[in-house]
Amino acid sequence: MDFLRGPICIGVYTWREGIRKRSYIGFLILSLLVIFGASFITSFMNQRMVGEAQTDIDLKLIKDICVTTISIFGMLITVFISASMVPNEMENKVVYSVLSKPLNRFQYLLGKFMGIQAIILLNLLLMGGLFFVALYLRQGIPPTLLLWSILLTYFEFLIVSAFTFAISCTSTSAVLPTIAGLFIYITCNLTQYLKDVIERAGQTGEKLDELIGGLARVLYNVLPNLQYFSLKTQIVNSPPNDPPADVLIPNLIIYGLVYAMVGFILAYWVFRRKEL
Amino acid sequence: MSSVIETHGLTKVYEGARRGQDVHALTDLNLSVNPGEIFAYLGPNGSGKTTTIKMLLGLIFPTSGSIRIMGSDRIYSSAVKREIGYLPEGAYYPDFLRGEEILKFYGKLYGLTGAKLNRRVDEVMEQVGMGHARKRMMRGYSKGMRQRIGLAQALISDPQLLILDEPTTGLDPIARKEIRDILSVLRDQGKTLLISSHELLEVELISDRVGILFEGVLQTLGTIDELLTDRDLNIEVRGIDDSALARLAEKGMVKEDKVGDVVTLRVAESLSAYDALELCKAEKLTLVRVAPRRESLEDVFVRVVGAAEAKRSNA
Repeated sequence: MDFLRGPICIGVYTWREGIRKRSYIGFLILSLLVIFGASFITSFMNQRMVGEAQTDIDLKLIKDICVTTISIFGMLITVFISASMVPNEMENKVVYSVLSKPLNRFQYLLGKFMGIQAIILLNLLLMGGLFFVALYLRQGIPPTLLLWSILLTYFEFLIVSAFTFAISCTSTSAVLPTIAGLFIYITCNLTQYLKDVIERAGQTGEKLDELIGGLARVLYNVLPNLQYFSLKTQIVNSPPNDPPADVLIPNLIIYGLVYAMVGFILAYWVFRRKEL
Repeated sequence: MSSVIETHGLTKVYEGARRGQDVHALTDLNLSVNPGEIFAYLGPNGSGKTTTIKMLLGLIFPTSGSIRIMGSDRIYSSAVKREIGYLPEGAYYPDFLRGEEILKFYGKLYGLTGAKLNRRVDEVMEQVGMGHARKRMMRGYSKGMRQRIGLAQALISDPQLLILDEPTTGLDPIARKEIRDILSVLRDQGKTLLISSHELLEVELISDRVGILFEGVLQTLGTIDELLTDRDLNIEVRGIDDSALARLAEKGMVKEDKVGDVVTLRVAESLSAYDALELCKAEKLTLVRVAPRRESLEDVFVRVVGAAEAKRSNA
């Protein structure tokens, strides 16, 4: 318990600092407005256009907009928060006074990471909660599928956060890790396409093609596939209280945790002998 | 107890991008800071002061050499860190926290909790004269108050060793005096203080020993009395004209100042007080005052750094 006292203290401090960041507040307000606005606009349309088919289209539109909003704004908040916490503390020298206390670098990073996760979770709960209420009011059925989706989205963000955090530990400014975080998110959402590259590269038999195929194979096996965490199609097209189909939630949670652990270990490996 | 801080051959080299571009931030530093003393660590910007402090705190790592703190070479262990309080230069404290919340945050990092933590926060707030403003948000603090909070966070664990980087820089004279008084009280309580500063007057007033660093090399080390020599003499006279001034200057008595008709002559070290007075007598000058000329720490600093610069230029 003594070992965790320092990290918890730093985590709480990080959380309190993070939720006051302008970028966080800005993205959060914007996302809540979009979710709220999407529900409101289609409700307004419903009063004029009668018919079950039209209602279904509206509902799909709401779900599509809201799931995309949670995904995009959640990712932006995740990347900005994960990229900035450590570099900011190096810049304003808080890290000097904190690490001069009886606290090792692992504990410091653990505390920062825990605080970042608390911010990401709060953000997801706010956005997901609003979406949940909007869907429930509209359909009168608790959209439990959405809760599964929020859970999986968190583990998707956990992976992005861990690798962005690792890159932020190499940097004294938040700019590079932010760009890297966005790159990680985009690349890891395209992992599925690497499979196509592997298949196509094997067909020509040329040296360069084989080389590209080999590289694609390595990337496909190493990079996390964030598409696994997406329940968007099912949320948009299925009844709201359906169980998640074609996904093994416990496996995905373990998948997310393993990649997050790798990201955190990388962060510590970079930071443990970093000259501050 | 032996030295609180002891370094042997402490060296820090930052590797450059190319061969030959390495920066020698600190070279072969042998230093010992004794228990209960205020040790002033001086030097121009970029001389290696902060590098030394960062190595003492484990923020950067030595290229070679050794460090012992409180007799232990496990300087990054919790046991040693528990005995160190550190005030970084220009540290930031978040505006959304109250003064006492900052102290509680740092106190918890030392493992203080509950009533013990609250009692310690009370004590330290009173110690740095911030008891009245403890509930105020940081954004409402003046620069001097922020510096006191910085000092308070360094004191929260009641450490034996305090390392203070520029504790009075940027403060007004009253705030500087108040911080100085706090530091003197801490020394009287038996704490050891290592102060890195550019405020030479402040340092001269409170320090026991001084080390002057230039380009990563310790140039001089000694007590204030050892460094501030009384070798020169000032003689104040009346009734001196330009020709007499020129004759005296040739013999080692140089005009230093003039207030009204009283001229102050600085007597060179090579000239005895007796000879200087005889020369004044020969010029038929009216003697107003004879006083030893005490160097200030600033004089010593300029002399030492100037000599080091000249040596480097000649090399």
